[in-house]
Amino acid sequence: MYPKPFGYYAPQTPVEAYELVGRLGGKAKILAGGTDLVILMKDKIISPENVIDITNIEEFQGIKYEPGKGMEIGATTKNAEVQFSEVVKQKYPALAYAAGEIGSSQVRHMGTIGGNSCNASPSAETPTPLVAYGASVVVSSATGEREMPVEEFIQGVRQIDLKEGEILTRIKLPEPSPKLAAKYAYMGARDANEIDSVNMAVALELKDDKKTVQSVKLVMGSVFIKPLISKAVPALLTGQEFSDDLVEQAAAAAQNEAKPISDVRASAEYRREIVGVLARRLLKEAFAAAQEVK
Amino acid sequence: MKHLIELEINGRVYDVAVSPRDLLADVLRKKLGLTGTKKGCGAGDCGACTVLVDDKPILSCITLAITCNGKKITTVEGLALPNGELNPLQADFVNKGAIQCGFCTPGMIMSAAGLLKRNAKPSMYDIKHEMSGNICRCTGFKRIIMAIEAAAETGVK
Repeated sequence: MYPKPFGYYAPQTPVEAYELVGRLGGKAKILAGGTDLVILMKDKIISPENVIDITNIEEFQGIKYEPGKGMEIGATTKNAEVQFSEVVKQKYPALAYAAGEIGSSQVRHMGTIGGNSCNASPSAETPTPLVAYGASVVVSSATGEREMPVEEFIQGVRQIDLKEGEILTRIKLPEPSPKLAAKYAYMGARDANEIDSVNMAVALELKDDKKTVQSVKLVMGSVFIKPLISKAVPALLTGQEFSDDLVEQAAAAAQNEAKPISDVRASAEYRREIVGVLARRLLKEAFAAAQEVK
Repeated sequence: MKHLIELEINGRVYDVAVSPRDLLADVLRKKLGLTGTKKGCGAGDCGACTVLVDDKPILSCITLAITCNGKKITTVEGLALPNGELNPLQADFVNKGAIQCGFCTPGMIMSAAGLLKRNAKPSMYDIKHEMSGNICRCTGFKRIIMAIEAAAETGVK
């Protein structure tokens, strides 16, 4: 199988890239890692007239962390780089873990963190922890930049808020509170090289008594058209002393909020069950980790 | 339209005329005769086509060759020692009986080579986790893992 013929452009600078994306608009697809795009092109599900390869642009790559200010990850940073980065592992461990559970080693060395969001698959790994950490994306064009939360950028299945002429250039993560503990987990048909049937991230902070929940965020992946932020879980847990009984109530609440579908990977019924399993597990793990925080 | 690109493959520089849609696996196999790299599933699932690009394992059957312009590529043909003998990782695959039908072997070895370049002393978890993108349909995984462990012990790069 081969893609249909297309024009290929490899801009070397952001300015060149914005000019090309602006000029070719809807007649071009942006290539970051290609692990999704090239497969879709080989299967002729999409056949763009042009491909703009942005992987040579240094300004769109790399991980920068500034203490107190947070992190910026270039859109074409490979998922493997996020997986192995010491500073990501230290500051945003749930993101490093999720990046390391994408596809296979080869896919992680090809695919990019920006592509993982732009592909806008509901079962994508990294958007879930990114949303839990309160990350935003920066989309850039010849005329300027826009910044928005990841959960607003991803609008639905394969739908993102990227206007003609724009490129996702970086992802920004706020400095995590020193008290924050975040955890990620997923469920799939097997442990490796699978596509998640459900994934989830929990970010939790405790008050100084190490028992009372100061804040909690629970984000579900693959149970809605985009990452789903629970409203019920914070409403139940915030200001309360953490207990197994509350965890049960929170897990049930998350199950009620999930809007899973049945597809080739799992039934809606199974997905809803797994939401409860992962919610219980992650809330307890995050609580234990938050208690350890000095 | 054909584009002229430069690929450094196994230490030798090739100027190759490619169409944008040409896949790296096909360029290696058909244009350059480097048939050690195998084509399996064609969709990024099986790992048979794994090669190293700038020392990182990637899937050559879903990589557009043109995107590798100016990059350094290592295929299984590039691993043998200058005197023609197998390198220790390849030799361990032979010695540990990690090869059955052999179709997955070049991809397995290239993934393992990529792992050992990044992490010279991988744990059992590291080996299993980072090798999970390579599938052996003879199901000889146990001996493949043993071969990689042995290669790590002798310090293969």
